[in-house]
Amino acid sequence: MTNENALSVQTERTEKAVVVCPVGRVDGSNVGVLESAIKEQLDAGEQTLVFDFEGLNYISSAGLRVLLVTARRTQAEGGKALFCGLAEHIAHVFEISGFTNILTICQNRSEALAAL
Amino acid sequence: MTTSPIRLLVVDDEEDLELLIRQKFRRRIRKGEFDFVFAHNGQEALERLAENPDIHLVLSDINMPVMDGLALLSKLEDTNPDVQAVIVSAYGDMENIRTAMNRGAFDFVTKPINFEDLEITIEKTLNHIHALEAAQEARDRLVVLKRELDVAQQVQMSALPKDLPSRETHEVQALMIPAREVGGDFYDFFPLSDELLGLVIADVSGKGIPAALFTLMTRTLLKGTARDSPSPADCLSRVNDLLAEDNETCIFITLFYGVFDLRDGSFRYSNGGHNPPRLVRGDSQVEELPATENLVLGIAPGHEYHNGEVRLAPGDALFLYTDGITEAQNSAYEEFGEERLDAKLASLGQVAAHDIITMVVDEVHAFTGDAPQSDDITCVAMRFAAPLSSPIIDGT
Repeated sequence: MTNENALSVQTERTEKAVVVCPVGRVDGSNVGVLESAIKEQLDAGEQTLVFDFEGLNYISSAGLRVLLVTARRTQAEGGKALFCGLAEHIAHVFEISGFTNILTICQNRSEALAAL
Repeated sequence: MTTSPIRLLVVDDEEDLELLIRQKFRRRIRKGEFDFVFAHNGQEALERLAENPDIHLVLSDINMPVMDGLALLSKLEDTNPDVQAVIVSAYGDMENIRTAMNRGAFDFVTKPINFEDLEITIEKTLNHIHALEAAQEARDRLVVLKRELDVAQQVQMSALPKDLPSRETHEVQALMIPAREVGGDFYDFFPLSDELLGLVIADVSGKGIPAALFTLMTRTLLKGTARDSPSPADCLSRVNDLLAEDNETCIFITLFYGVFDLRDGSFRYSNGGHNPPRLVRGDSQVEELPATENLVLGIAPGHEYHNGEVRLAPGDALFLYTDGITEAQNSAYEEFGEERLDAKLASLGQVAAHDIITMVVDEVHAFTGDAPQSDDITCVAMRFAAPLSSPIIDGT
């Protein structure tokens, strides 16, 4: 088992969207890694991002802020950001904070890609 | 851009060295890069240094009358610790060179002086001096920053309300343990009237100075709004509109605000995306306060918040907390979680508000063990003892 505390962000190009997969844990100390991976895609002109949280163990409020900024920016540019693969405890955080009402959440990656 | 020349001190009892130095370095002197000051023994060198505090490099011979180069090195360590010395010694005089190096000389050159080598040595020493100065400057800046952070922490902690004295009707206690110097949590409690008590707990996204500014702003806005409206939802809607204005950075805050009525134990609240507080009944049943309209504050202007209401009986307690408690991790990266929190609250029995806090936080610390605290731990406990007795009205 690798260090669960580390974060790596993989991106994958699909026909309809770029899939961003943060693996590990997003907190105040490493949120910049996620932020720059997203920025790289947006700056390259990608407007539709699917966040696959299958490998995500934890996300702090600093990480949630970055997701909000991303959702807002993609929307402003005529694109979209979708979120899928939320583990139960992460879905719970989205639920409590009310993000389920303002972000588009899907069960898994195929459902998210089909929704585009 | 003109910069003032770098001033160097040359210490040697041989008069002709002065001429030689001036001649060999004439171009750099003319260009205004170097400026040489001369002394003929260690004693004079110390005087020159006292007159020229901008000298940071000394080139010194070893054998000199009055005070030799080795004695000068010993003095320099005490009087001019920021001065670097390059020693000039006779070729092969290893014993003196070693002594000089042990007394803090930065480098040495040998006689007869190879001026090309000397110039390289001077440049190398100057680079070292600049690196030291830069490090010192960075350290000074850090000290200033650290002091400012300490002040920010004091401001933040002093913005928190002092514990209220316990009254016949109720008692309130709170605790905040920031994970870093300046945290992103806050709590507040304030009487709105003789009968109404406001309770607040909040957690801003991120930490540090930006988070601290956002919490202070929120706290001030809420306190101001709370005086105008008895409805918590109304207050949250207004504060949210103010925070969401031009909030490009999407900093947000989860905020729970409730108003407790001391006359009948009713508690009206609105929850802006915060972890639902717990109602601990007198019989140790633990209830989660039903959700209201759950959206964090600061990102959706015009969002309408709603009120929820519960009623406390004498002996019941409220427990408000931030995710620093439920998301506290042990070294195996397991979270403390809501189940452990609820189990602990259910096991407490009828204890004072202060004990609720201490016992929960002790339980969290016992769980996390040596694992570092990654988030602020904040909680507020209120125990309702007895309703406010209505003034006795004389019927006659």
